[in-house]
Amino acid sequence: MLFENIKLAFSAMRGSKMRTALSLLGIVIGVASVVAILTIGQSASQSITESIAVGGLDMITIYPSYGQRTTGTFTEEFSDMLIRDVEGLQTVLPQNNSSARVRYGKESMNASVSGVLSDYGNVLNLEYAEGSFFSDMDNINRRQVVVLGSSVAETLFPEQEALGQYVSLFRNQAKSYLVVGVLEAKDATFNLSYDNTVFIPYNTYGQRFLRTSGVGAYVIKVMDGYDTIEVSDRVTEYLDDIVGTDGYNLFSPASLAEMANQITGTFSAFLAAIAAISLLVGGIGIMNIMLVSVAERTKEIGIRKALGASPSVIRGQFIVEALTLTILGGLLGVALGSLLSYAVTNLMDWSLHLSYASFILAMGFSMFVGVFFGWYPAMKASRLDPIDALNYE
Amino acid sequence: MVESVIRLQDVRRYYVMGEFVVKALDGVTVDIKRGEFTSIMGPSGSGKSTMMNLIGCLDTPTSGLIDIDGENTAGLNETELAYIRNRKVGFVFQQFNLLGKLTALDNVIVPLLYGGMSVRERKQKAMDALERVGLSDRLYHRPNELSGGQKQRVAIARALVNNPTILLADEPTGALDTKTGNQIMELFEELNSEGRTVIFVTHDRELGMRCHRQIRIRDGRLEEQHAV
Repeated sequence: MLFENIKLAFSAMRGSKMRTALSLLGIVIGVASVVAILTIGQSASQSITESIAVGGLDMITIYPSYGQRTTGTFTEEFSDMLIRDVEGLQTVLPQNNSSARVRYGKESMNASVSGVLSDYGNVLNLEYAEGSFFSDMDNINRRQVVVLGSSVAETLFPEQEALGQYVSLFRNQAKSYLVVGVLEAKDATFNLSYDNTVFIPYNTYGQRFLRTSGVGAYVIKVMDGYDTIEVSDRVTEYLDDIVGTDGYNLFSPASLAEMANQITGTFSAFLAAIAAISLLVGGIGIMNIMLVSVAERTKEIGIRKALGASPSVIRGQFIVEALTLTILGGLLGVALGSLLSYAVTNLMDWSLHLSYASFILAMGFSMFVGVFFGWYPAMKASRLDPIDALNYE
Repeated sequence: MVESVIRLQDVRRYYVMGEFVVKALDGVTVDIKRGEFTSIMGPSGSGKSTMMNLIGCLDTPTSGLIDIDGENTAGLNETELAYIRNRKVGFVFQQFNLLGKLTALDNVIVPLLYGGMSVRERKQKAMDALERVGLSDRLYHRPNELSGGQKQRVAIARALVNNPTILLADEPTGALDTKTGNQIMELFEELNSEGRTVIFVTHDRELGMRCHRQIRIRDGRLEEQHAV
């Protein structure tokens, strides 16, 4: 019976191709936009997370406020205090940051300068195009050695190896530094790449480069098995007690990624809800074509009733027809939506993450629309008086 | 004593048309036995179509009792009436009333769809019915590829396919030329001689007289009943 009804539905569609196509268009567009919006949203947030993750999803950075740097709270010893007092920290590395003009021969550029400990390279999993990070001995002896970010190396050494050359860092006065390593290029949003940074030993920075005291930032690596966002909440709580909320800034790629995901998630849910309204409008189109179909086939309904079709059989026939229409429209919509998502993600250079949940959601919703808007025409058909219907011309 | 297959007891069917009440049937009592070949005759507007619709359970009376094959139809709901139409009554209409998009075979299968039968069984029964009316070579033709006489044969096959108690034909030759109409009449006579109860609604006196029994109706009342 179901099979016969589906066959009937297709023969009805063949009978009025143009009208069927136009009514289906509403469902197709509705489903396609729901699928495309959810898929594109998911792909966007995935790609944002990926680019944030370049900076290390298990990293947290604390920047003491400017006024706090001279109070004596934020010292090198503070690293040990943090590790001792807050659960889940693997390493806390103090660092200082500023900028300088970097020169080699005729080439020069402005670059960020970071004074860091020798562990920094390992903790951040830096990768090297040439050489390696400097050693602990370089730091202890305050040697003038430098590791160049990839853009810096490219600018200063367009045609030769940087390793073993001396570059000059100019701040208040020019001093030459031996290049011991060059980093691989890393794409990242939110300034988390090191391509424009040069690294020098922490002690060299404090005593030869700028003669500063205090610590500009602490880079924290979260222990394996701990949730970065939970740990950063604990760090926040700890620091609020000591210096108050204004005493520092905390930055973690993980919380940034979470925020970005929340924003894209909310945004695409909102857009999908609007698209769902167009599905509802498509449903009205289905109701329209079903009413026309019932009216056109009044005679057929009369004949079927005379031959013994009960009201529920007639109702079933027309509901199956509406369902067949919406399922067909849903499938076409999923295909169109996927194609659209593929085109957009390709254009934006994101990786495509097909949202299968959106397929099910959109199909389910369009089937609901089919039953909902097919019900009234089907009821109308089933309640026709057999004699009136038979005499209908 | 042959049992009754149709019994109408003081059946009335009134329609309210604005301020008027149209008495389409006004107290009809009739008893039709199994195997009878009965014609219902009368001018148009006499109530014969109303009577046919009531016997065929397409309509329900305003008052009175109707028994079909021993079953009282009073108080049956739409679904139960549909079941009687499907199993006990085979309709043949003046305008054939075939479904234009379906082949002859699929048209004959339609009543079987509402009975719960395997696909193979349906097809076999429908082919048997079409063979009975001499259309084995037209199984896959659509109505618009068939002559008037052939269409009516398909309709008769459709009426026969569920092996109903009553064959109910409403002016079945009305849309056919005399020769073809005659052949269709002969087919009904054959079916009756095989033991089927046939009710033949017509205003053609000559055809009506060929039936074994005539029921004449005028203004919603029986005029006379003849048994030939």
